[in-house]
Amino acid sequence: MDESILDVRHLSKSFGTNRVLRDIDFSVSRGDVISIIGASGSGKSTLLRCINLLETPTSGEILYHGTNVAGRSVKASEYRSHVGMVFQSFNLFNNMTVLENCMAGQIKVLKRSKQDAHEEAMKYLDKVGMAPYINAKPRQISGGQKQRVAIARALAMHPEVLLFDEPTSALDPEMVGEVLSVMQSLAQEGMTMLVVTHEMAFARDVSSRVVFMHQGVICEQGVPAEIFGDPKCPETRDFLARFRNS
Amino acid sequence: MDKLVKLCQDVGLLWSKYYPMYLNGVKNTLILALVATAIGCLIGLLCGILNTIPYTKNDPLIKRILLKLVRIIIRIYVEVFRGTPMVLQAVFIVYGLPYFSDNALRFDNIWSAAILIVSINTGAYMAESVRGGIISIDPGQTEGAKAIGMTHFQTMTSVIMPQALRNIMPQIGNNFIINVKDTSVMFIIGFTEFFAAHRYITGVNNMYFPSAAIEMLGYLCMTMLASVILRWLEKRMDGPDSYDLVQADQLVMAGGTYTYPGKGSNFDERSKEYGSGVWVDNGERSDR
Repeated sequence: MDESILDVRHLSKSFGTNRVLRDIDFSVSRGDVISIIGASGSGKSTLLRCINLLETPTSGEILYHGTNVAGRSVKASEYRSHVGMVFQSFNLFNNMTVLENCMAGQIKVLKRSKQDAHEEAMKYLDKVGMAPYINAKPRQISGGQKQRVAIARALAMHPEVLLFDEPTSALDPEMVGEVLSVMQSLAQEGMTMLVVTHEMAFARDVSSRVVFMHQGVICEQGVPAEIFGDPKCPETRDFLARFRNS
Repeated sequence: MDKLVKLCQDVGLLWSKYYPMYLNGVKNTLILALVATAIGCLIGLLCGILNTIPYTKNDPLIKRILLKLVRIIIRIYVEVFRGTPMVLQAVFIVYGLPYFSDNALRFDNIWSAAILIVSINTGAYMAESVRGGIISIDPGQTEGAKAIGMTHFQTMTSVIMPQALRNIMPQIGNNFIINVKDTSVMFIIGFTEFFAAHRYITGVNNMYFPSAAIEMLGYLCMTMLASVILRWLEKRMDGPDSYDLVQADQLVMAGGTYTYPGKGSNFDERSKEYGSGVWVDNGERSDR
């Protein structure tokens, strides 16, 4: 087992009386590519948002290199700068160009010089194939392009873990491929990734571990061959059967 | 028709005789409206930001009480100054303060009094506009900023406020135009703006209606000019509708829209026919 970056222990989250997450336990090690799958409303996104502290967990611990970040004493913004996040709705800053989007965090949060930030931003924009579009505003580019910029923005912060919250769900089918191929190449380069997805092919072929969630609990987790080939849980079997038939 | 000609003659007569007074009034009106709107916007921004600082149950008690208190104070300020006429506020501040403090507190400078009154009025209206502007921004913008590690302050200044400001530009314009017209009530504290000039001039002759016509035209010109400038400002804030692709390779750029082929793929022109060397920006030939 490699050095573990994130340890989620007994994590629970309720919205009012609705218990969305119940006693979640799992860990992320360096180089892991973990796909979280499950039906809508099973708590996948909430889990990811809890890990990034966009939602405050009701109880439980999130250990980042052994420190609990869910407590009050930890500065959330400091921690978040180590954990990148890519959203379903892109969330690019509408008042900035593509390039400025990728530089803002580096300059404001990491206090890099303008020149360094520019170089880093260009490096990652080139990697996702968006370098020609640096002068465009988010409203002027397509969904797939926005998502690639969002990935470059997260990468430019040199995060230890990158969280993807259904990165392709808001995209037209023909744009899904361009985003997935960027993610695939990231996975191959050894980026630690946590991906909430409905793309079963991606979960099966790219990830090193698959987590299946059902009604706020982790039903089953294991290597893709295990989950897709020989699922133990009846819920997993039902869920995957629906994808096979369609 | 005769009446119209007569009116024009009278207007001409008045203007030729008193135009320095009218122009001075216009100048004072514009300066007061401009300065007061600017200060009012700052007050509004401050109130709007203070009003939207988020707090959760997990925050310390002191922070929660403080924020609650701030919100109550702002609420009272907005309700009082939005809910009473500016004329009366002027009277209360300029004549009421010396009355209650036995002349210890009073405004010797009419400019500072006028600016104060119009500013806090504008601020009360702007506080609500700014709050509206901030909550109209998609929460995803805040999440995006937080996710890359920005603090609340950084998120506000570099992501939310620029967008909120753009959205409330029409409101700022509204307030400016309202201020241009409503500063006319400042004659009550002896401020010599455009309307005060009219009152003074018609006090020494009986050409009330021709002077009113000048006033009408004058105010219309000022507000229309303001509208044009505001529209232009908004356009500028939006930036250009189009953008240029940035391509290191100028020959590829000539092709117009260009999707980015992977390095080494069949369509990667950089590595194929232009591989021996290309013309770059500064006109020098560089070898790759």
